[in-house]
Amino acid sequence: MAAQALDGQYVLSGVRVLDFTWVHAGPAATRVLADQGAEVIKVESNYALAVVGGAAASTPYGLGQRHNWNAGKLSFSLNMRTPQGIAMAKRLVAISDVVAENFSGRVMARWGMDYESLRRIKPDIIMLSMSGMGRTGPWRDYVSYGQTLQAWSGFTYLTGFPETDPSGPASAYSDASAAMAGAQAVLLALIHRARTGQGQWIDLSQFEVVCSLLETLVLDVGVNRRGEAVQRTGNRLPHGDASPHGAYRCEGDDRWVAIAVFSDEEWNAFAQAIGGPPWAGDERFATAHGRRRHADELDRLVETWTANHSPEEAMHLLQAAGVAAGVVQSGADLADNDPQLRERGLFRQVPDAQGVLRTVEGPPYKLSLTPGGPLRGAPEFGGHQTYVTQELLGMSDEEIAQCAIDGAFE
Amino acid sequence: MPDSTQDGQQPLTGYRVLDLSGPLGVYCGKLMADMGADVVKVEPPGGDPMRHIGPFAHDKPGPDSSLYWLHFATNRRSITLDVTSADGAALLRRLASKADVLLETHQPGLMKSLGLGYSDLSDLNSGLVYVSITPFGQTGPYRDYKGSDLIGLAMGGYMYVTGWPHTPPTRLWGSQAYHTASNRASIGALLALYHRLATGQGQHVDVSMQEAVAATTEHVNIYYAYEGTPAVRCGFRHGGRFVATWRCKDGYVSITTHRQQAWDDLRAWMAEEGMAGDLMDEKYNDTFVLRGENSAHIEEIIEKWAMRHTRQEITDWGQARHYPFGPAATPVELLENPQLQGRGFFVQAEHPGFAESVTYPGAPYRLSRSPWRLRTAAPRIGQHNARVYGDELGLSQEEMARLAGAGVI
Repeated sequence: MAAQALDGQYVLSGVRVLDFTWVHAGPAATRVLADQGAEVIKVESNYALAVVGGAAASTPYGLGQRHNWNAGKLSFSLNMRTPQGIAMAKRLVAISDVVAENFSGRVMARWGMDYESLRRIKPDIIMLSMSGMGRTGPWRDYVSYGQTLQAWSGFTYLTGFPETDPSGPASAYSDASAAMAGAQAVLLALIHRARTGQGQWIDLSQFEVVCSLLETLVLDVGVNRRGEAVQRTGNRLPHGDASPHGAYRCEGDDRWVAIAVFSDEEWNAFAQAIGGPPWAGDERFATAHGRRRHADELDRLVETWTANHSPEEAMHLLQAAGVAAGVVQSGADLADNDPQLRERGLFRQVPDAQGVLRTVEGPPYKLSLTPGGPLRGAPEFGGHQTYVTQELLGMSDEEIAQCAIDGAFE
Repeated sequence: MPDSTQDGQQPLTGYRVLDLSGPLGVYCGKLMADMGADVVKVEPPGGDPMRHIGPFAHDKPGPDSSLYWLHFATNRRSITLDVTSADGAALLRRLASKADVLLETHQPGLMKSLGLGYSDLSDLNSGLVYVSITPFGQTGPYRDYKGSDLIGLAMGGYMYVTGWPHTPPTRLWGSQAYHTASNRASIGALLALYHRLATGQGQHVDVSMQEAVAATTEHVNIYYAYEGTPAVRCGFRHGGRFVATWRCKDGYVSITTHRQQAWDDLRAWMAEEGMAGDLMDEKYNDTFVLRGENSAHIEEIIEKWAMRHTRQEITDWGQARHYPFGPAATPVELLENPQLQGRGFFVQAEHPGFAESVTYPGAPYRLSRSPWRLRTAAPRIGQHNARVYGDELGLSQEEMARLAGAGVI
């Protein structure tokens, strides 16, 4: 018999993460660790906030990002421009398992906190360094946002329809992917440490993360010398004969259903499910190859059917016949109209420091024994000064007062 | 610089993974195999259907020429097994009793109907980490709904916002819903393995592609939850800040003016060339101008200016000032990228039947002591049958011959 889920058991309880990361990829990576019980201490500073433009709290969306990326973490306000700030950070390294950062170039080295230095403080420390281009190579000092990397990798150029400008992914897919990669890398390093006692340094280039998701592109360009011929294909697949395959306009304003038909069996089920209109019997559509070849015409005809249905109706009708179909869901659909996400509980309401419930995303994987998940929202800026200075660092009241006077907590 | 070659052990060296997955999970298997796990791909007799997904080397379809298979099946061993037969299921149970991880992407309930569900196998091996990836998860009203990469992007919310206002919602290039499901599954599997190191206990990891995508859009859920209206499609003119891509002389270039200084410098550059129009006017001082009511006017001015410059000129100008500018590269430019080459991102492997070595994308992360590695290229169908069934499981020659004759292996 499978063991029962253990309430309150967290895989990473006892793991402490000193988290210097900011913006999207870094905090989203360490959020994965916090979800599973790691004590993630977010090191923040008024000076750093000034650089990001204070966006964290200046708009409702900014507030949402802060909660979603930092749920369950602690916040320690520390001024790394002061010698006391650096000294306290190093004392925290000595009692941490993981140090995470995504500063540009030489910031950590300037503080005497590059990997070699950290290793002298804590021999089995795991250091995650996330950066746009990686910490070596001719472009190591290049500055990039998610969209910059998507452009550089080819994702932007290849996402969209052939007859219009490319659109690229709607948001920073490279950051989201780098976050997943960063979390994996830390978990791999923790496993390695548990098996061998060794720590290590992780040099994560967000550019390389995106490029590793290019799938067969590298092989196709290399083996088939096909570079110029690889172009945008809109919602159709570049290989194989899937058709109909795309988003089809439905009843309502900007409402769509996605349909993916691969085999003859699925095509027959599709034709029957939509009531067997005469055009579905057209000989041109009898084979997968024919359907793909006449996809423009087929897409137009499919839309004559979908246009008379809501996307929900179309999805349920087609799924009942065994055809892969799904509503092209907006943010409102996901939150308000999706019984599947609701039953599985993807969205969580967690209290912030004032007890106000905030919406965040839960872990999109379910572990039967140790489900984890966020218990509270993002911390308030500097919300855990007492815990860190007194309980973790054992500082005296005098010491703390002197550091405050010297601006070490700003 | 830490020495990356001082010892050879990868983080997952010594772990055995039975991989029964299709496209939903094949990347998860690759992630684990590339980090050292012994991932045994269980193919149906005759070969895995993924061997017939294009593109193909020199456009010649065949089980060993699918570049999809070559890419995703690195570092795997291959055995053939018909798990739908009673003998096959019995054999899989024996394999699972010695495995650390089982990875599968069948529709919910199918493995259980074969006597191969999580509870069946955990009875034999309580340490087994059993990873199931499906379009919608093991529970909920849509659990039996069919899905593909496209459906994952649609139901997960990424597709509605990708594309232009005048185009249909648009898929991401490649199969990113599958990748995202696999990335999330890999995190789940690693957490379960870490837990097992401490307790010896395995568990079931249930991953829904839809949820994986829905938790990866960055803005879709949070924008709606906190702003109260759903995010919409805006092509490559992104979000609140000045993050946008532009047509230019030789293609497209991404320009992000993430700071006031960057926007002011860009306007000044345009003014120097007499192309700034009225952009120097103080009503356009804010870097959020592209969201304002004059956005069409501003876009027209910038595009007219950008068309006079190449991607490289604009990129070099921005990077010299530490602003995040970069060209929209085309596929053919990718393999020549100086940074990827400088860091040795691409790796080569010999492949039987190929005249030249094949170039693969490399590590998504670099661990200094226990690194990613391309050890072996994709296996042939059942290449490791004798080794796995004979040497490791202890089947006799006669038993193997009987099972082969019955179409089980």
